[in-house]
Amino acid sequence: MGRKKKKQLKPWCWYCNRDFDDEKILIQHQKAKHFKCHICHKKLYTGPGLAIHCMQVHKETIDSVPNAIPGRTDIELEIYGMEGIPEKDMQDRRRVLEQKSQESQKKKQNQDDSDEDDDDDDDEAGPSFQQPAAQPQAAYMPPMTQAGMHPGPHAQGMPPAGYAGMPPMLTGIPPMIPGMPPVMPGMPPGMMPMRGMMPPMMPGMPPGMPPLVARPGMPPMAPAAPVTAPGMASRPAVPATQSAASKPLFPSAVQAQQTVSGPSSTTSDSPKVTFPAYTQPSSAPSVAASSSTVAKPPATVTSKPATLTTLSATSKLMHPDEDISLEERRAQLPRYQRLIPRPGQTAAAAASAPPSGAVGGMIPAQQVIPPQQPGMRHPIHGQYGGPPQGMPGYMGGGMPPYGQNAPMVPPYQTGPPGPPMGIRPPVMSPGSRY
Amino acid sequence: MSGRAAAEKSSTVRFNMTGANEFKLTQGPEDGVSAVKFSPSSAQFLLVSSWDCTVRLFDVSANSMRMKYQHLAPVLDCAFYDPTHAWSGGLDSQLKTHDLNTDQDTIVGTHDAPIRCVEYCPEVNVMVTGSWDMSVRLWDPRTPCNAGTFTQPEKVYTLSVAGDRLIVGTAGRRVLVWDLRNMGYVQQRRESSLKYQTRCIRAFPNKQGYVLSSIEGRVAVEYLDPSLEVQKKKYAFKCHRLKENGIEQVYPVNAISFHSVHNTFATGGSDGFVNIWDPFNKKRLCQFHRYPTSIASLAFSSDGSLLAIASSYMQEQGDVSHPADAVFIRQVTDAETKPKST
Repeated sequence: MGRKKKKQLKPWCWYCNRDFDDEKILIQHQKAKHFKCHICHKKLYTGPGLAIHCMQVHKETIDSVPNAIPGRTDIELEIYGMEGIPEKDMQDRRRVLEQKSQESQKKKQNQDDSDEDDDDDDDEAGPSFQQPAAQPQAAYMPPMTQAGMHPGPHAQGMPPAGYAGMPPMLTGIPPMIPGMPPVMPGMPPGMMPMRGMMPPMMPGMPPGMPPLVARPGMPPMAPAAPVTAPGMASRPAVPATQSAASKPLFPSAVQAQQTVSGPSSTTSDSPKVTFPAYTQPSSAPSVAASSSTVAKPPATVTSKPATLTTLSATSKLMHPDEDISLEERRAQLPRYQRLIPRPGQTAAAAASAPPSGAVGGMIPAQQVIPPQQPGMRHPIHGQYGGPPQGMPGYMGGGMPPYGQNAPMVPPYQTGPPGPPMGIRPPVMSPGSRY
Repeated sequence: MSGRAAAEKSSTVRFNMTGANEFKLTQGPEDGVSAVKFSPSSAQFLLVSSWDCTVRLFDVSANSMRMKYQHLAPVLDCAFYDPTHAWSGGLDSQLKTHDLNTDQDTIVGTHDAPIRCVEYCPEVNVMVTGSWDMSVRLWDPRTPCNAGTFTQPEKVYTLSVAGDRLIVGTAGRRVLVWDLRNMGYVQQRRESSLKYQTRCIRAFPNKQGYVLSSIEGRVAVEYLDPSLEVQKKKYAFKCHRLKENGIEQVYPVNAISFHSVHNTFATGGSDGFVNIWDPFNKKRLCQFHRYPTSIASLAFSSDGSLLAIASSYMQEQGDVSHPADAVFIRQVTDAETKPKST
């Protein structure tokens, strides 16, 4: 989007008013969203083409284009990409686009004088940056920072003031903090349009920021800020300038500013379009797109695996709920647990471990204990050496442990494992009656 | 071509044909298949590791099992060091190498928890293992012996070698890029761009980046160069999802394999489908017929003529009955794997 006066020529979909980078993509979009048969999903090329297809193949009539906004649903209009769009709608579109860009131009420069150019493009950084050098308004910077915003025509110089006066402003600001929080977000956007200036400013900003706001959650945001700020800067700098003009640094000036620039409805969305470090806590959606680290379903490292968040009512995730891998889950099944050699561990503990998520954390712990795997011989010693309290747990496991140990302990298998202690004559646990 | 010629040679192959260009391996594992890997030098030999605690070597052209060796517990991954040595590891935490000429085993070393991944890096001549003990270990294949232990932030779920770099995918959706020649520090720490658990990572043959799949029917194509212009090219797409009765069923994408020549890749999901994707044009090239059950592993042969497809139930729905696990060998054509020129 770097060429001048070309915005109205950017491919857009007549049916739903969406913008596209490329006509090819626009056509793909139209085929998939507007010219797709709802019965057989065949993609046609035009609206009339879709109507004819439905009639001939499915014997169904359709009267409106799917997924189209009201007023743009005419199925008989032959539109392909940008071709076939009625001239009236083209002009409407051009006008709307012009209005939109003019609005933002106005907000930034303030209505009165100086429309250096009615450019649609975004490099306001260019013209507005030059101002402090060109005009004596630069002289206003110091008084502005100290005494509050000077309302009026010099709002046009505001953004550069925000930039040029930065160092003194920063020092002026900390004392203002207690009353400032609502206004702080207004200040940084003053920097925003100075896209060319952003990089040099950025290193200045974070050191200034932490002392400025004692808000919880700030520190984590500060490191994120330099990363996301370029993302933020590339977002429409237009609304940023709009809010910069309307939300200057000091509350008194806010009211004054608002009376001056009354009709321009600018005070609406400044909280949204501010320095990423500030907005993270309040408006996650706008920044979440660029910094995707914040709100994700966590897979915690605790022994109890986190459960997955479900997708939605219409989607089902074909995966067990715990957030452990499929192989880990399968490894918890008794028939595999039996095979995992664990010298030093009672086989009972291994076999009777229920295949539930809670055990997921235990298993690695068990494995850690025996660093070497000498083989199955040792578990027997473990059983004998184990505390007698291990016996009831052993019985709780039921047959499988016996089955496993039978080859190892044939002499001791004296019959059905009814009376627990009877099978282990050599082991005389205190309190047992055998 | 070798498959068809083999069909004339061996009648067992003919009985196992599951399509004009596809057959099922006989004497396959008796439990789930965890990994399939082709020999680096030949499309004739395939290693198959399994939950039945074995690693088997197949002669694919004759559809016969040449060799089999055991672990104490289910084997989770296997890899060729060279055409005559197989390496494998699994739930018994033991890393084994097996000489395919002498049919002899050696235990090279162990991890502290099950070994999940075994890969070879030809550029640095080192074997790499990743484990649920949250470490990656390097092994010198010639001696063979341990060449270092490197802690990861979480359990290792998948890893892949790109030239002399190692890409590790762990639990908690972390991705780490290591320089195998300098393991003193992590070269890049990333987070998966997908919101759900990482299932598989495979590096592009051209080493420019990697493909990462999650349990939520989504695949991301990412690049290793951290510069902004290159990072802008990364993207993700949904796949392996089926719509049934108005509910969208979203399946884990368990397996990824790259075609060495075309830099296109195949993905296999728990829906039983295999798709082939062209990452540069962002298009799907092909989808094969549905396999009997989940795709657990995929491997293209080094010349790109064959694709081994492990259709093996992975307990996504719990321990229920399921179609038999099997390995299919499919001859793939350029039409299925080559990017379209438009």
